[in-house]
Amino acid sequence: MADLSLKHIYKVYPNGTKAVNDFNMEIADKEFIVFVGPSGCGKSTTLRMIAGLEDISAGELKIGGVVVNDMEPKDRDIAMVFQNYALYPHMTVYDNLAFSLRLKKLSREEIHKLVVQAAETLGITEYLSKKPKEMSGGQRQRVALGRAIVREPKVMLLDEPLSNLDAKLRTQMRAEISKLHSRLNTTFIYVTHDQVEAMTMGTRIVVMKDGFVKQIDTPKNLYNYPANKFVAGFIGTPQMNFFEGTLKKNGEEVRIDFAYCNAGITVPCSKLDKVRPDYLNGETPVYIGLRAEDVSVDREAFGNNKAVVKLRISHVEELGSETLLYGDLNMDGDGYSESLTKIVIKDDGSGGYRAGDVIEAALNTERIHLFDKQTEDCVLPRIPEYNYLDCTVSGGLLNFLGESIALPPAIECADGEYELLIPVDALKAGKDIGVKVETCENICGKTLLSAELNGKMLYALVPETVTEKTLKLDVDFKKITLLKDGVKVIEPLPEVSRLDGLFVKNKVKKLTEADGKVKTVKAIEFSLETEGKRFTVPDTLAQKLFAALGVRKAFNSPLKIECGAGSLIFGENGINARVERMLDYGAEKFVKCRVGEKFVYLLADKDYDGEVRIVPDLDKIGIIEAERNIRII
Amino acid sequence: MKKYRSKKGAEKLSLVIIHTVLAIISVIWLLPFLMLIILSFRGEQVGMSANYLFPKQWSFDNYVKLFTQTKFLTWYGNTLLVSVIVTVVQTIIVLVTSYALSRLRFKMRKPLMNVMLILGMFPGFLSMTAVYFVLKEINLTQNIFGLILVYSASSAMQYYICKGFFDTIPKSLDEAARIDGASRHTIFFKILLPLAKPIIIYTILTAFIAPWGEYMFSSFIMLGDPDKFTVAVGMKSWLDNSTLASEYFTIFCAAAVVVSIPITALFIWLQRYYVEGVTGGSVKG
Amino acid sequence: MMDLEYLKKSPLEKFGFNFINFFKRLPSAFAAFFRAIPKKLCKIWFAFIGVFLNVFTAAKNGDWKTRTSFAVMGFGFFFRKQYLRGVLYIVFEATFVLYMVFFGWKYLAKMGSLGEIACVEEWDEVLGVFTYKFYDNSLLILLYSLLTIFIMVAFVYTWYKNVKGNYLSQQFEEAHIKLATAKDDIRSYANENYHKTLLSIPVLGLVVFTILPIFFMVFIAFTNYDKAHMPPHELFSWAGIDNFVTVLGGGVSANSKIFAYTFGEVLLWTIVWAFFATFTNYILGMVVAILINKKGVRFKKLWRTVLVMTIAIPQFVSLMFMSQLLADQGLINNLLLKWGWIDKAIPFLTDGTAARITIIIVNIWIGIPYSMLICTGILMNIPQDLYESARIDGAGPIKAYMKITLPYMLHVTTPYLITQFIGNLNNFNVIFLLTGGNPSSLDMQFAGKTDLLITWLYKLTVSETQYGIASVIGIFTFVVVAVFSLILYNRSKSVKNEEEFM
Repeated sequence: MADLSLKHIYKVYPNGTKAVNDFNMEIADKEFIVFVGPSGCGKSTTLRMIAGLEDISAGELKIGGVVVNDMEPKDRDIAMVFQNYALYPHMTVYDNLAFSLRLKKLSREEIHKLVVQAAETLGITEYLSKKPKEMSGGQRQRVALGRAIVREPKVMLLDEPLSNLDAKLRTQMRAEISKLHSRLNTTFIYVTHDQVEAMTMGTRIVVMKDGFVKQIDTPKNLYNYPANKFVAGFIGTPQMNFFEGTLKKNGEEVRIDFAYCNAGITVPCSKLDKVRPDYLNGETPVYIGLRAEDVSVDREAFGNNKAVVKLRISHVEELGSETLLYGDLNMDGDGYSESLTKIVIKDDGSGGYRAGDVIEAALNTERIHLFDKQTEDCVLPRIPEYNYLDCTVSGGLLNFLGESIALPPAIECADGEYELLIPVDALKAGKDIGVKVETCENICGKTLLSAELNGKMLYALVPETVTEKTLKLDVDFKKITLLKDGVKVIEPLPEVSRLDGLFVKNKVKKLTEADGKVKTVKAIEFSLETEGKRFTVPDTLAQKLFAALGVRKAFNSPLKIECGAGSLIFGENGINARVERMLDYGAEKFVKCRVGEKFVYLLADKDYDGEVRIVPDLDKIGIIEAERNIRII
Repeated sequence: MKKYRSKKGAEKLSLVIIHTVLAIISVIWLLPFLMLIILSFRGEQVGMSANYLFPKQWSFDNYVKLFTQTKFLTWYGNTLLVSVIVTVVQTIIVLVTSYALSRLRFKMRKPLMNVMLILGMFPGFLSMTAVYFVLKEINLTQNIFGLILVYSASSAMQYYICKGFFDTIPKSLDEAARIDGASRHTIFFKILLPLAKPIIIYTILTAFIAPWGEYMFSSFIMLGDPDKFTVAVGMKSWLDNSTLASEYFTIFCAAAVVVSIPITALFIWLQRYYVEGVTGGSVKG
Repeated sequence: MMDLEYLKKSPLEKFGFNFINFFKRLPSAFAAFFRAIPKKLCKIWFAFIGVFLNVFTAAKNGDWKTRTSFAVMGFGFFFRKQYLRGVLYIVFEATFVLYMVFFGWKYLAKMGSLGEIACVEEWDEVLGVFTYKFYDNSLLILLYSLLTIFIMVAFVYTWYKNVKGNYLSQQFEEAHIKLATAKDDIRSYANENYHKTLLSIPVLGLVVFTILPIFFMVFIAFTNYDKAHMPPHELFSWAGIDNFVTVLGGGVSANSKIFAYTFGEVLLWTIVWAFFATFTNYILGMVVAILINKKGVRFKKLWRTVLVMTIAIPQFVSLMFMSQLLADQGLINNLLLKWGWIDKAIPFLTDGTAARITIIIVNIWIGIPYSMLICTGILMNIPQDLYESARIDGAGPIKAYMKITLPYMLHVTTPYLITQFIGNLNNFNVIFLLTGGNPSSLDMQFAGKTDLLITWLYKLTVSETQYGIASVIGIFTFVVVAVFSLILYNRSKSVKNEEEFM
């Protein structure tokens, strides 16, 4: 009965390996969260950190609003079910359930009541006098669950609880755990390597790999909108088909060429308008992903007769309800090996295909997934990064899609044709551009507005759902990029400036008033030292640093301080800086200053010149421990 | 078909041979003890030089003499006292050390284990003189408690087999108990110890038996005071010179029987645990 | 280099290949070892520097409470309301000071000379006899100064802990983090610090009764402590490495040559004995175990119990009884003579070579039940499907034994073999109770033909009171045992690694 908050959680082993990297998540009350990933991905480590069985190297873990980093497991009000059940072999089931209650020093009657109640919930009343050895796997599993729920914990942690059971029992227990969750109304966190378990049980799933969180989303969204190739391949059986290929924009159409074979399809440009234009040059290799059900032997299945490929069937798997056709786009390929031309088709089996047949299959281009070959990130995301437009600049006016807006003085560029990148969060409700609202959808807690402007879709992030049919938008010029022949001409204002720093303490004499007398009291103050100046740190921030790094280490670790434009102000006793240039974006003004070798940007209310002094606003900055590259705030 | 039959015949033959060999082995192993028992009933005083095994005169004389004319009963009492106390102390120390080394993680864990490994390589006798003078300073030489102290002081070094056993108990039990709210202390007493019954019995058994056969330390500490001897030291003193030996030989046999019977009985009763401990502990690397 | 070429080779070739490779690799292994030394030294050096730095920072940044703790241990804890810690530290400091003032320094001061006057004869007026008045006892001086040094080391360590802890408390206080109260401290001794609670007494026992005596004997090796220098009547003094020189044969006296010869002989026999005692027991024990466990053999439990029973009978009983039976005038010789099988008593224990063989055979008789037990346990653990697949592949029982049972057993029991080998190097009971090291030999100094290093050591100490020499022998025994066990442990480790690699 509690929410959890994990902020910048790290697990770093003494030899420097990071088992968990910057894990951030807010878990609401009563959620059923599943951590899933291949073995060694850090999912169990994260769970054990939540349980308190492993130390948290850095970060902040809250359960029910209380920081529990340094709390013993028993004080965290959690319960855990282990993979091998970890039932006490020498105790009866009754004693197993009662163990924690006895340690809490509850009265005998109370213990009896709670134990019997838990046993009834799980239907293990008749085994109460047995010892774990005398029971079957499924029964032991129930006892393990019973031992967890008897304490009425705030959070239930389950570490691969079903992996020791056989397939049939597993399905049954899966349903029972789900039932238990709905009955108990407790937050569940469940670790598994089995994606089917994850998909069937979780309200939200965390996919992890090599210590990194790959995606956090609902099962449905993970399946439909995987954020990277790993998630796409991990979720769903049979595995998604992956091909390598290139995209080439050709007028209003995009030609997708598959590598290592002669296949190629054509899709309308509008389907791929969320893709960054530099992927559409016909050279950048990408992975093309299509699920088995999005390939059909029926040419007309998806209504796009330009998306048809030829393949040779290598073998057929009959599953009863459906048939899986395995084939290869490359006519010389064997269809068995994990090549990038192998294809699996989910079919109803009516075609009676046999190995060796060469057939044509239609691809569902509505549900095509594209991933970058290097980073393996999705290049066709649900929320695009930018709106990609062509524009011209003439006489201080920016012209695109038939609109023309005055450029602010900060953007100085020669007249000519440019490519224009407007980030989705740089379009805000305003007065300049009138657009027709098409859809407005909620994606992962953000609202994406798709609007039409002169035949071209514009995307914008809006604070809340828009109901109007038409809307006026403004462009936030400090975020836009202008490119000429692929070279950046205008860059957006950097979001953060980084400074090196050190956490130090100093002794100060303070004047305090007590009983009407003014006294000097020696006190210790903590401050952040950067560029030769010290800034007194608020107590909450100091506590966070101590919590993350330990009292002794906090003073010895080099830090990186991240300051957004809004978190730096002009003030007395600040860092010496030299004004390089004023940036006037119309509504807002910024100052670009040089500090040593670095540049920082400040929000300004008037024009500045010459030498200035800058003070960071310590409530708004971010701090990173430089040595191990761990984000603290 | 023929081949099949011949194979079966060969198998049968080999089984016969094996049984014969095992019977012979058993006889070889038991014969000396049978001789020991037979000799202990020899009534006539012919010393060792007799050239026959079965006594001309069966009698209990040796046993009667053993309990009336020698200090055997005192020695037996001494050894029993030492055994019991050493068993208690050593079992506690071994269990405690093994738990700490198996379950708790602390900075000095590895170094401590290495130091104990190296200490085990020193001939224990080397330190005897120093121990003797330490004991002398606290007036514990020629004293049962001195011997007890010496036996139990270094018992931490016997941790190896017991730790091996603890290592096989899944760690998730500890973790489950920690989540259930148990301290390390509670885990040790409520979870680990009840599960360690075989190894506790093994430790008790080995600790109990050791003082009965130990000669080196006890002879050194008890040097010159026959009232404080353990059975090993005392019985050896009977056979130290040949004139005495011929007189005491049959009595020695009787004493050996008296010493062996209870221990053997105990051993056969608890055999299962001993085997478990020996095989479990020595196999782990 | 586990390549196909290697896999193709026959077992003999493989052995040769490994053999050559082992020596080929030796230089690089040595080089790696020595290259690692500077790194290790650096690490130690940095740890050392770290200690000083910690003290220095505490002195520099500490407030008055922390700084006072440099002199008065636990002072800062008192003023930060961590009373329990404060009390413990201050009590420790007071005890230490009292110990040093009233006891420790007296001995420590004399450690250099090990005493000046041992005893003086005085005329006792009352009794009318000369009595001895004892002053310095070299032995006690050495023992107590060692003890004092141990305690001083402990004090310095505690002092450092105190400084560090006080400064940490100060930092905690400054950081507004709650300090541990006495109650928290006590609770932590059942939890995070539980190892301290559990191990303090066992470790104390180890230090006083094992480590301190070992240091003591190492120091004794550098003195002339023997019959002629026996406290309390006489003093002994530092003698440098004289004893080592004597034992290694470089001494001036005629004794020295004999000592060196004896040492060589005894060492050689010790190693031979340990080798045979270990392997005969192991192999024969395994054979017996296999026989008992063979499918179709009946009364398995009976055979096993018969053997196990012999473990229970105290070793000294069976060994002494055996020594009586096998004596020249013993029952066995007498019986054999009577039956006319022999004309003359067989010198089971009185002829050098015969005695050695007898000892090994008796040891087999003693040891087989034990190794049989261990082998039985492991044999039962060998997965049966290994044998089944071997049978399908066409392997007979002998082949299956050579290819499956033996390698498996060797792999699993290596640690056991090593401990057995080391145990046999130091096997006092069997030798001492069976032969007492006899037959004695004129060529050797205080040692018989069957004496092991450890029994020789016993004789040198107990009957000859050559403590200085004995200590040297003890140190050498340790070196021999340590070298063997280190080599064996390393070998077994490399075996394990290879297994993983494959």
